[in-house]
Amino acid sequence: MIKIARLFLALVLVFLYLPIIVMAAMGFNASPLYALPFDFTTHWYQELAGNGRLIEAGWNSIWLAVLTAVIATALGTLAALALWRRTFRGRSILRILLLPPIAIPWLITGTAMLVFFFWTGIGRGLHAMLIGHVALAIPYVVLVVGTGLQTLRADLEEAAMSLGSTPIHAFFRVTLPLLLPSIVGAALFAFAVSLDQFVISYFLSVPGMTTLPVEIYSAIRKGFTPEINAISTILLVASMIIILGFARFARPGGIGERS
Amino acid sequence: MSGVDVTAVAKNYGATKVLTDITQNFESGTFTSLLGPSGSGKTTLLRIIAGFVAPDEGAVRIAGADVTGVPVHARNIGMVFQSYALFPHMSVAANVGFGLGRRGIRGKAAKAQVDEALEMVRLPGFGGRYPRQLSGGQQQRVALARAIVIRPDVLLLDEPLSALDRRLRQEMQVELLRIQRESGLTTIFVTHDQEEALTLSDKVAILDRGRIVQMGRPAEVYERPRTRFAAEFLGDANFLTGKVRGSAVEIAGATIMTEDRLPAEGATVTLAVRPEKIAIRPAETARSGAVENSLPATVSSVIYTGTALTYMLRSGDLHLKVFAQNSDGSPLAAGSAVVLSWSARHSVMVEG
Amino acid sequence: MPPEASAAGLPATRRRMPSWLATAALLLPSYAWLTLAVLLPLAAMFAFSFLHATPLGNKPVVWTLEQYRAFYDQPYLLGVAWASLSIGLWTTGICAVVGFAAALALVRATAGRARETLLILVLLPFWTNGLVRVFSWTMVIREGGFLDVFVRWFWPSAPSLGFLYTTPAIVLGLVHGYLPYMVLTCYIALLSVDEAVIEAAQSLGARWWTVLFKILVPLAAPGLVTGAILIFVPVIGAFMEPRILGGRVGVTMGTVIEDQFTQAFNWPLGSALAFTMLAVVLAVFATFSGVLRRSATT
Repeated sequence: MIKIARLFLALVLVFLYLPIIVMAAMGFNASPLYALPFDFTTHWYQELAGNGRLIEAGWNSIWLAVLTAVIATALGTLAALALWRRTFRGRSILRILLLPPIAIPWLITGTAMLVFFFWTGIGRGLHAMLIGHVALAIPYVVLVVGTGLQTLRADLEEAAMSLGSTPIHAFFRVTLPLLLPSIVGAALFAFAVSLDQFVISYFLSVPGMTTLPVEIYSAIRKGFTPEINAISTILLVASMIIILGFARFARPGGIGERS
Repeated sequence: MSGVDVTAVAKNYGATKVLTDITQNFESGTFTSLLGPSGSGKTTLLRIIAGFVAPDEGAVRIAGADVTGVPVHARNIGMVFQSYALFPHMSVAANVGFGLGRRGIRGKAAKAQVDEALEMVRLPGFGGRYPRQLSGGQQQRVALARAIVIRPDVLLLDEPLSALDRRLRQEMQVELLRIQRESGLTTIFVTHDQEEALTLSDKVAILDRGRIVQMGRPAEVYERPRTRFAAEFLGDANFLTGKVRGSAVEIAGATIMTEDRLPAEGATVTLAVRPEKIAIRPAETARSGAVENSLPATVSSVIYTGTALTYMLRSGDLHLKVFAQNSDGSPLAAGSAVVLSWSARHSVMVEG
Repeated sequence: MPPEASAAGLPATRRRMPSWLATAALLLPSYAWLTLAVLLPLAAMFAFSFLHATPLGNKPVVWTLEQYRAFYDQPYLLGVAWASLSIGLWTTGICAVVGFAAALALVRATAGRARETLLILVLLPFWTNGLVRVFSWTMVIREGGFLDVFVRWFWPSAPSLGFLYTTPAIVLGLVHGYLPYMVLTCYIALLSVDEAVIEAAQSLGARWWTVLFKILVPLAAPGLVTGAILIFVPVIGAFMEPRILGGRVGVTMGTVIEDQFTQAFNWPLGSALAFTMLAVVLAVFATFSGVLRRSATT
């Protein structure tokens, strides 16, 4: 029984990883038509280095992710402190209001942003994407930091205050250092959410102001070479590393349990 | 001079009255236990004295100064929390030195005081360790050292021993008492463990539904409980309810004597008798007239615990409980006819 | 005597900010941002769904309910909705069976570090780019792709098994994308099942299938339902997976809505369709909110 179960788990992992591995391998195959047998080359990665369009989209993605992580982490941490450390009327409603960006299909959120930003004159482009990405990332940050706050006992702050700390001193000396892993985890998470975000970016992009996933999508739709495999592999590996970093800081089950 | 005064303090959470009109002086240098079941308001009272909770009414004075509007951090209190609340990211020395730092004492002077405090709680040389490397009892001592090193005006203990197992708890009770005596700190200790309260305290305050129903020396409160609740919560008690007849109380046909001043003829009163104050003898060997009160009864069951015996008895409609020493190794069997006897001064009149 | 004097050497008391003000200051930035970027846009889109045409240039604004009649006026949309629904149901169903089994295998057949590593390995793809993963499948299931090469290794003259640009291809890609959700929610639910309950059932004579269907599945039901919602909701809004894996057959509500915004430029119709979909989503949430709430507290 246990052997069958483990075999099944192995098959699930093969299912999850096989296409990714095949895709990555094809980025090292010489044939532009993905023909086999396999003929190892780094040609497509070199091509990539000279592809200004993809490189620029890549930098856009990175900058967007960095800014999203910084802004969403700052804002979301403050909100988490209020939502998990203070009692006030309407707290549960505010917690529920965090859900729409996570729970409503991105297609709806994205098109709604498109309509609203166009209508109000905010327009489309990287600034619009930043507004959208931060809004998507804030709920995740609040939940990750909130989970951290929940496991952090409130009596530590009280202990500091009983020893003469002002609330602000207690926050910086006790709460913040202990919360830091969650905050770093949340920042990495926000970074990954932004880096991998496609739907919102797709609706808010304008030619010349796109992100990597949007460029990859248009390449897939309009015909592509293994260069796309190369850039996709890089993107995939990057987000895996970031998420593994997140998992180190915050427990993997944490988000699912609380959301 | 120092000491804590609580004057007419009240606290409500919505419609729930947590504390009602508490006025109490906690004398300088004494160890006072706040004893009560959960929900009696004892922890709220402690947190009002600490400053974590603002009272709706009334005032708190610590060491003579009114601190009612003063935030926690400016009150100069020492507090030990139920879960110790040691800072997990700081070493033991940093934990103990935290309060000193807030008082501007740093460097060598602080180190000397930290070492002294760790010495006092018998953890010398533990300064470099981290809380997670310590056992529960050791964490407890560090929490205590951290609270006393700042020489607070009052030491507040919020059920600090409840997380320890029984043996360690008894050991820590002795330690706590020694440290309190050595430091001479005014100490307020919240507990729901009556034995702990009796062992440790100079004074015991019994709380019931937001009021202090009785406060006094442990023996005083135990021997002369003022209310039915106090008698029941602190120790065990048999309650006998009857009507005043002359200078005694008539209960289920028997006449029970008490030394307490009784109300007018015919009034209904309740007497509390501690189970260990009652002597139990087989009916045939009982001498009459030797003690003031005697009551025939039948043993309904015996609980054998080795050193002691607990008899559950019936006398007419009354159900009684008696603790006896297991002195001759042959407990009375269920169904035996017995005579219970006790002295008049052990019939204590209680309210309610 | 001023209060500060009671505590020698302690920092002086300053006037504190009122509590509600501090709370508001902490909350305002996040919620203002969410309002600007999510709530107001949704409201604006709701308003747009009642317009006759996209308000461009000097065209007059005409309010109408006609967009919500789309399913009546354009019956082919019913077919599209049915296609979306069946893709959603197939995906959710396959994810439920495979995900529950995988979670069960994780909980009952692994332990300690190995289990932790396996869980991370299962969840990891979920947080990588969905687009790239969908693209990966085209490498495998197209004609002459990896699947064909693999099969022809054993049977050189095999016909092509490639099924790119079919509905099963879309379902496959979506299952790949959302399976980790189901594994996670079922894993959490199964983790809380007491070993003693299973042993009790066995002691009463239950065989493995009785234990599975009478004990494990009912006890893990909150996890299954949560997972199903978390999968069904985004799947019926999917448009990128049907486009890439479905080709010409990949017409779903998601792609139709996308078209209104990017090709047809009929924003009012797109908005109305999006809000119809949102109504379905909310109905799903409302129906199962009790289960969701219960599983959120465990």
